[in-house]
Amino acid sequence: MTRLLSLIFIASINVSCSDNTSEPSAQQNLELAPEETVAATETTGARTAGYNEERNAYFGDLHVHTMYSFDAFIFGTTSSPSDAYTFAKGGKITHPAGFDMQLDIPLDFYGVTDHAFYLGVLREMANPLSEISKHEVAAGMSTLGGSIQRGEKFSEILAFLRSPRANEVNDPVIGRSAWEDIIATANRHNDPGNFTAFIGYEYTATYSDGGNLHRNVIYRDDVAPELPFSRLDSANPEDLWDWMDANREQGFESLAIPHNSNGSNGSMFMMTDFSGNPLDGAYADQRMRNEPLAEITQVKGTSDTHPALSPNDEWADFEIMPFQVASFRSSQPNGSYLREAYLNGLKNQEENGANPYKFGIIGSSDTHNATYAGDEDDYWSKVGLRDSDGVRRGSVPLREPRAPGENYAETYFNTWSASGLAGVWAEENTRASIYDSFRRKETFGTSGTRMRVRFFAGYDLPLINDGDLISKAYGNGVAMGSDLLAYADREPEFIAWVSRDPNSAALQRLQIIKGWMEDGEAREEVYDVACSDGGTVDSITHRCPDNGAQVNLDDCSITSGLGAAELRANWSDPEYDASQNAFYYVRAMENPTCRWSTWDAIRAGVEPRPDMAATLQERAWSSPIWITPVQ
Amino acid sequence: MGRLVTQPLLWFVFISLCVFILDDLIPDARDEIFVSNAQKDRIALLWKTQTGEDASTQELDSLVNNWVEEEALFREALRLGLDQDDSIIRRRLVQKLGFIAEAQMGSEPEIAELESYYSQNIIDYTLPLRYSFRQVYFPDQASADAQLSQAKLGKDISSTGSTSMLNDGYAFRSELDIDATFGSGFSTKLTGLSVREWQGPVESSFGFHLVYLTSIHAEEAAPLNSVLDSVGSDYQQFQKMTARRRYLEALLDDYLIRYEAQ
Repeated sequence: MTRLLSLIFIASINVSCSDNTSEPSAQQNLELAPEETVAATETTGARTAGYNEERNAYFGDLHVHTMYSFDAFIFGTTSSPSDAYTFAKGGKITHPAGFDMQLDIPLDFYGVTDHAFYLGVLREMANPLSEISKHEVAAGMSTLGGSIQRGEKFSEILAFLRSPRANEVNDPVIGRSAWEDIIATANRHNDPGNFTAFIGYEYTATYSDGGNLHRNVIYRDDVAPELPFSRLDSANPEDLWDWMDANREQGFESLAIPHNSNGSNGSMFMMTDFSGNPLDGAYADQRMRNEPLAEITQVKGTSDTHPALSPNDEWADFEIMPFQVASFRSSQPNGSYLREAYLNGLKNQEENGANPYKFGIIGSSDTHNATYAGDEDDYWSKVGLRDSDGVRRGSVPLREPRAPGENYAETYFNTWSASGLAGVWAEENTRASIYDSFRRKETFGTSGTRMRVRFFAGYDLPLINDGDLISKAYGNGVAMGSDLLAYADREPEFIAWVSRDPNSAALQRLQIIKGWMEDGEAREEVYDVACSDGGTVDSITHRCPDNGAQVNLDDCSITSGLGAAELRANWSDPEYDASQNAFYYVRAMENPTCRWSTWDAIRAGVEPRPDMAATLQERAWSSPIWITPVQ
Repeated sequence: MGRLVTQPLLWFVFISLCVFILDDLIPDARDEIFVSNAQKDRIALLWKTQTGEDASTQELDSLVNNWVEEEALFREALRLGLDQDDSIIRRRLVQKLGFIAEAQMGSEPEIAELESYYSQNIIDYTLPLRYSFRQVYFPDQASADAQLSQAKLGKDISSTGSTSMLNDGYAFRSELDIDATFGSGFSTKLTGLSVREWQGPVESSFGFHLVYLTSIHAEEAAPLNSVLDSVGSDYQQFQKMTARRRYLEALLDDYLIRYEAQ
């Protein structure tokens, strides 16, 4: 019967195909189109049209949750991975609260990264016909109401996840079906030369004290293992790396990107392994083989550094999210921020002969709305119906009637941030080229705007006004993410260069942040290296003068005529010592602009909330360059 | 001989022999769970991919035993109809059938099929208005104006500007691309400029640009050979959907569908 039907339907397809006899109109267009159209629009042989030996900057988001994530679904997100990729390409999708979300400028690359545990499960729990909807923890899933109820359900599921019964609802059949959809969707949306769609997922483990050990796993190619490795397989990231190593041997190339180290309570960048042993060469090799990048910023705050860790960095107090992830418990800064991890890496290098913290930098959003969240004046935050407007996210006073003394919603959403964009330098917009830039660590992160940052170190580097700057810098030096060998008799030169986001504020200052080991102590210093508006760097304080850029909090307008389109510098380290282990990375700063919370307040016709920063300086961070000292 | 016939032990041996022979000749009324060597190999391979090591004889015995038990439980679950009202199992089966239907979509498409699909869906392969141009960048307007005068006298000004991260030339850039690179509104200022002469200065977020438009490319269909890969994969997706739909239609033809009156 089946066979007969198959035959009939194959025959019918053939008939339908031969029915299509209309003359293709391509011929006519081919004559009209200039010859080079072919080259400029699509693939020419192995290379796509935008191929550039000196590499282009591409922007993307590698941290996106859709309806398959347990929490996103509870928060009201019903958008699929395909909706998310459509959004990234410039399409319009609807927020669970009913408004449209669309990017002014599409992204170049994107990766959907749903939580691996309970993948697709909560969505099935909401289906009253499914067997899993009868499980006690599924109660009420099909009738979730307002944001408070959704918050409570989220906490209940989290508690269940941490109980010994967690596996009861981790249905691999549901998970596999979602995972197959995720893989097929990324492959369908991937468009070499125009848009890169990565296959990925989030490994969402927590340390014994509750500190987060979350990572996103990103695949290079169009294939991935049968099921993702989740916290229910093991809470130890070293087991994840073993699994990734084993899969790599079978042709599944991937890397993992830790995120929200700020909320990890010191567990992301510990000075021992999971079992408490010192970090040896084998650990460092495996960690760096699997985790060449880290997320420096996202909606749940920025993880560059903390005022307590960098008391002499005036810009350290930027979008600090003080809590452990999804809680009001405070997160201790030590072991939770990237700059300190770089320093501890150098320290471990000197003490144990291995540096496990030599990773590059990206930003990403962690949206749970299947979109993005890095735009201050078009902010959707990230947890669906729970923080969809100013009142819910604490930037606008609660509506009357309200309890005495309670002006704003008591949430942690007000410590969140419109942030997180990944930048890469790659020859072309393809999976292979962009993935290679991840592996090279030729990457940078921004707080949401599209600044482009270049950073080189080497010997005999060209001057910054050289017309052939980039090819000479690549030729005579190394780019961000690399190592440079020190010579006893020569000092390395640096080139730092930033170009503004043409659709955001102009640039205020360009900095190089140095960390090094001196007599067994970790040290750090922030150097301004280029100033806007004709300013020069003070040789003692290493600071630019204030350029006086202001923000008008009545309407968010900014001082016109101030700030630079580009800032760049040839720089050498005034304190250079060829015998020291050191790293350098760039931080570029825009003029101040309104923070999302101020935009919320202005639109609601109220004063900005007094205990939240009214403005911020959007910024970009390059991956470091490490100097390996003379032995 | 008679004594032999009355010997109970001999009778017992004789009957046992018969039973033994008959047992081989008459099929067992019970269902059979047959563990083929191929099945054993699959079990062993699965173990190896999950653990990275070959299963020992003991492990294999235990794995096979597990499989036998699972098979028995599975059959019993089916017999009790436990698969009937579970929407996940329903969906998974339907999904699998969907893959089978899709797999039956025939051979690699002929170029004529692709051409036909391409022209029927030409809107998906239409490129927007695009510009190709060279640009020279100046942070201030006075320098831009001065160089424009030089250009009008026939001087080559292409290397007179300030260096920047901007490219000297851009080919086939849509208005959205241009606004992403130079700031919103820049592409609008290119409308009305004539081709093949230095013009401007055009103001951007960076400063001032002298622009030499090499060509303006009207909205047009991308030639098939330049989009063959995406036409191919779109067509494949379309074929999958078509195959599914036809499979379903054929299937539904076998059913009489009745709705209970309201």
